[in-house]
Amino acid sequence: MMNKLLFGRFIPGESFVHHLDPRNKLLMSFYYIGIIFLANNWSTYLCLFLFTLLAVYLSSIKMGFFIRGVRPLIWLILFTVLLQVFFTRGGKVFWSWGPIVLSQYGLVNGVYIFMRFVLIIFMSTLLTLTTPPLSLADAIEAILKPLRVVRFPVYEVALMLSIALRFVPTLMDETEKIMNAQRARGVDFGEGNLFQQMRAVVPLLIPLFVSSFNRAEDLAIAMEARGYQGGEGRSKYRILTWHYRDTFVVLAFIALTGILIWLRA
Amino acid sequence: MLRKNKAYHLSILAMFIAVIIIQNFVPLFGYIPFGLLDLTTIHVTVVIAAIILGPKNGALIGGVWGLITFVRAFAAPTSPLAPLVFTNPVVSILPRILIGVVAGWTFIWLNKKIKQTPAMMLAAIAGTLVNTLLVLTLIYVFYRTPAVAQAYGTADVSRLGGLLLAVVGANGIPEAILAAVVAPLICTPLRRFQQRR
Repeated sequence: MMNKLLFGRFIPGESFVHHLDPRNKLLMSFYYIGIIFLANNWSTYLCLFLFTLLAVYLSSIKMGFFIRGVRPLIWLILFTVLLQVFFTRGGKVFWSWGPIVLSQYGLVNGVYIFMRFVLIIFMSTLLTLTTPPLSLADAIEAILKPLRVVRFPVYEVALMLSIALRFVPTLMDETEKIMNAQRARGVDFGEGNLFQQMRAVVPLLIPLFVSSFNRAEDLAIAMEARGYQGGEGRSKYRILTWHYRDTFVVLAFIALTGILIWLRA
Repeated sequence: MLRKNKAYHLSILAMFIAVIIIQNFVPLFGYIPFGLLDLTTIHVTVVIAAIILGPKNGALIGGVWGLITFVRAFAAPTSPLAPLVFTNPVVSILPRILIGVVAGWTFIWLNKKIKQTPAMMLAAIAGTLVNTLLVLTLIYVFYRTPAVAQAYGTADVSRLGGLLLAVVGANGIPEAILAAVVAPLICTPLRRFQQRR
């Protein structure tokens, strides 16, 4: 179960990508998703593909991990691609049946969308494989900081997020335990009609929420015992530092954007 | 008595966020496979948060769910619809925030007038339907504009409009029923549990 989790797939390492600032990695991942929409012909997609391969190479993580990231989604991607293929018109028409048309533009568009999916999945897999979840939470805190101007409780939300990420594996174990306990009492998960399946969720959620409330209570007592005051002025254990290599990566992304704008049709 | 200090408030919200994260990734717990579609049960957690912790916190939990949906629409879509629809943060995040707000306020308002259980049911239905209706409206608004459709690389998405509406509608009604059935079943013991201390 844990293997499918987006968080917690972190693979420790000492590579170039591992040592990048998490803030930088997070921002650049979003930026990458933004500029991928600039690509609209073969040369731009090739360019993005090579750039992504370089990033994967620099992380010194085996290609298999990335392919494994795509595999569970392959049917979904193919379905989306097929929708695109059959509902886009233009160019030479190869085959048609009612509203469904197999056209030149449709096929080309389908290939592009497939590429876009794979590239985005590779990049987000790279982010979660090389960044520990807690660093990601720190990065989110740093990025949200400007929102303090509109009185958004940045520190509280960031701490909440760190606690949540910390407790995901714990609650996951608990969920599995509760599921097994209810199975032993004769609850069938994933069987019967829709209504029965809905009912099966109830004996799972109640114990889980009750135990979460208990856990939150314990945690609150522990936090108070350590003098948690909340908000401004708390010092940090993990301090993020911006290195030259981060600047270098930003420059590389800017260069990539330039090339894409130059090459796009 | 409910402990109302800052640390408790923070940790209980963190637990709800953790539950939302888990529900996003564990089948049968977070979503029920139903033919081609997945019925989600995550909105139930948001409704529960809204009823027990109030509309503001419900909104926060809903917002976290929206954010996860938004990110997943790019990286690990849950349905064929996601990459088309939820890549727009207005469609993915705003309706989810409103689940919490609407369910929370409906419950506060109704709890004074009618019994607790029907109040919870109506709050759950209101919250879920707001989500569905808003997603439908936003799809209608956004995906009929050629410029926006073009930006998403789907030049002909207007043709898909009817399909999108049908699929989202088919999800919304069972989800509302699910929330109406499950929310009171869970909220009643939880409220008792919470008031005992």
